[in-house]
Amino acid sequence: MLRLTNLRKSYGNIVAVDGISLEVRRGEVFGLLGPNGAGKSTTIGMSVGLITPDSGTVEIEGAGAPTTDRVRGHIGIAPQALAIYDDLSGTENLSLFGRLYGLGGRELKDRVHRVLDLVGLLPRSSDRAGGYSGGMKRRLNLAAALIHEPPLLLLDEPTAGVDPQSRNNILDTVRDLAKAGKTIIYTTHYMEEAQKLCDRVGIIDKGKLLCVGTVDELVMAHGGKSIVRIERAEKHERFETDAPVREISRVLAGADAGDPVTGVHIDRPNLESVFLGMTGRSLRD
Amino acid sequence: MGSLAGIRAMWAIAWTDVRLLLRDRAAAFFTFVFPIIFAIFFGLVFGGDAKKGKIEIAVAQLDQGSLATEFVSSLKQMDGFNVTSVASEADGEKAVREGKASACIIIPGGFEKGLDSIFANGKGPEVPVLVDPSKAADTGLLQGRLMEQSFAMMAKSITQPERMKKQLQQARDMIAKSKDIDLSRKLMFGTLFQNIETFTNDANKPGEDGKPAFSDNALSGFSPMQFEMKDIRKQRIGPTNAYEVSLPQGIVWGLMGCVTAFVSTLARDRQRGTLVRLRSAPVSRWQIVGGKAMAGFVSCMLVQWLLIGIFAMFFGVRVPNPPMLIVATVFSACAFVGVMMFLAVIGRSGEGSAGFGRSVILIMALIGGGTLPVFFMPAFMKPVSMASPFKWSVDAIEGATWRGYDSQQMFLPLAVLAGVAIGGFVLGSMMFRRAMRE
Repeated sequence: MLRLTNLRKSYGNIVAVDGISLEVRRGEVFGLLGPNGAGKSTTIGMSVGLITPDSGTVEIEGAGAPTTDRVRGHIGIAPQALAIYDDLSGTENLSLFGRLYGLGGRELKDRVHRVLDLVGLLPRSSDRAGGYSGGMKRRLNLAAALIHEPPLLLLDEPTAGVDPQSRNNILDTVRDLAKAGKTIIYTTHYMEEAQKLCDRVGIIDKGKLLCVGTVDELVMAHGGKSIVRIERAEKHERFETDAPVREISRVLAGADAGDPVTGVHIDRPNLESVFLGMTGRSLRD
Repeated sequence: MGSLAGIRAMWAIAWTDVRLLLRDRAAAFFTFVFPIIFAIFFGLVFGGDAKKGKIEIAVAQLDQGSLATEFVSSLKQMDGFNVTSVASEADGEKAVREGKASACIIIPGGFEKGLDSIFANGKGPEVPVLVDPSKAADTGLLQGRLMEQSFAMMAKSITQPERMKKQLQQARDMIAKSKDIDLSRKLMFGTLFQNIETFTNDANKPGEDGKPAFSDNALSGFSPMQFEMKDIRKQRIGPTNAYEVSLPQGIVWGLMGCVTAFVSTLARDRQRGTLVRLRSAPVSRWQIVGGKAMAGFVSCMLVQWLLIGIFAMFFGVRVPNPPMLIVATVFSACAFVGVMMFLAVIGRSGEGSAGFGRSVILIMALIGGGTLPVFFMPAFMKPVSMASPFKWSVDAIEGATWRGYDSQQMFLPLAVLAGVAIGGFVLGSMMFRRAMRE
């Protein structure tokens, strides 16, 4: 659906994106993960034609580069910064964005109604967005990306700073969209979200794509060993292993009656350990 | 996106920006309400409405006869008119052109003779009246009163037996000298005029009720004087109403409100992320800029015509040349859209743009006649004021109202405003384009 080939973008001496090549398949939810300043937003900007790459190409399957109006009509974006007008109501915001995509009349009205319903904002549709909670604003931001029913959605941290209820609504909406066959590129800092939602994940840092695969593949390849913690009355034990169950059985079989095992814990590798393993633990600003 | 869809998208952006302006109470107040208060306040300070009261009429008495003098003095006693004598027709015409009088009545040489030969000629003397076409109501009122005065004059003339006899004698002399009338008819007219003279003498004797035989209705359908209305194009060299001066100033403040409200919109769009959404939509950069410009233009036109409408309706500001005023307001709006476009792309943040824009615009307004009209400014300030588009906007609006500019005089302010519009728009668009490239 979306093919990025050897994309490069620099701002002066700073290389924001350094030769990223990536293919997002039709109908999949692709998670793009990376620490702050990794190059995610620049990659997304180039993917929707907002930023011109220094080199490399972006291609939307069957449409071409997103430099023309027609191709941009295939993409819906929910930027990280809330791209809505506080002084307009939910309906007015969506009507404006719909008109920019050539919608009008009955069709626009129906779409606005449907999308507001989808994100759970129908009861507050005529209130000004400025009076919405953070979560409602995020949902409206997502709704604005859906108004023209694009086949490709770019959702840049759509759950940043929202309450659990709104997050749940957004995640459900993304799942529904995925079921409806939309292709979604999803950036987030919440690893559990990516783990739950994404068919495949790519980790990006310092402008380079470090790895791509399903969550299981990445965990398998880059997650490291499981950590087993054995708790005893007098002495605790902690070790890394590829076969935690076997190791625990061995420990329990040879346990000393004078110092019995009081607890066993297994910390399996997950996407977060993959992420930290790939990008390091140093703070990013 | 097709051209029609593009225009729709531009209009959607424009309408959104106008709506956002109207919903921002502070911005809406300073754009639409404050200029009205400002113009009314300064109108009062400059002298309020000096026009209310009597209608100014000039009269040039070129016949010094007693009837002419009597007619002029009767004119001077008319209610609702302030009739002042001028020495000549040229002076009277000047008074009308300069707006000092709504009309000038010319009592021509031979006025009395014309009145005396009313029966011989079948019509009274011709009395030219030079009128200001923009004062149709005043002229209409004057016309009615002149007819009334002329009948009163005629009645007076007839009720004076000696004058009547003189008029009849003139008619009899004219018939006697005529070669086209045969002798039998001359005798017949002679008898007729003799009878009329006898009738006049008898008719002027009071009846049993003590009233004269002639009543005002006796001569209906007859005009004893021929009032010939001549339009004199007013050459306005000064405002006749203080609000005519304060209106363009109010407009300056309205335009200022529009510019300061809109300069921050692009930067604010960039800040809050809505620009990303606008740019990711299938609309070109030109359409986004065009939409913003359209919003500015609509607001500038709205504020200008709101002020013009209010001041024309309630404060006696005249609009003698509406098409010229439309042109002036359109050029002013375009110029300030240009200024707006340029200032909007300079600042990176909404507050930065608004702050910088406000400062620049305030200075422009001050030197351009926003608070003190340019013609009140000291001599050294007048060349400085030319650097401000506000000066040219005020000039164009004054030219289309009380200055009464012709198209040649309007050319300079309109050309400067067009230059500002084009320059601002081109520079602003180029800078916007560069900023968008990132």
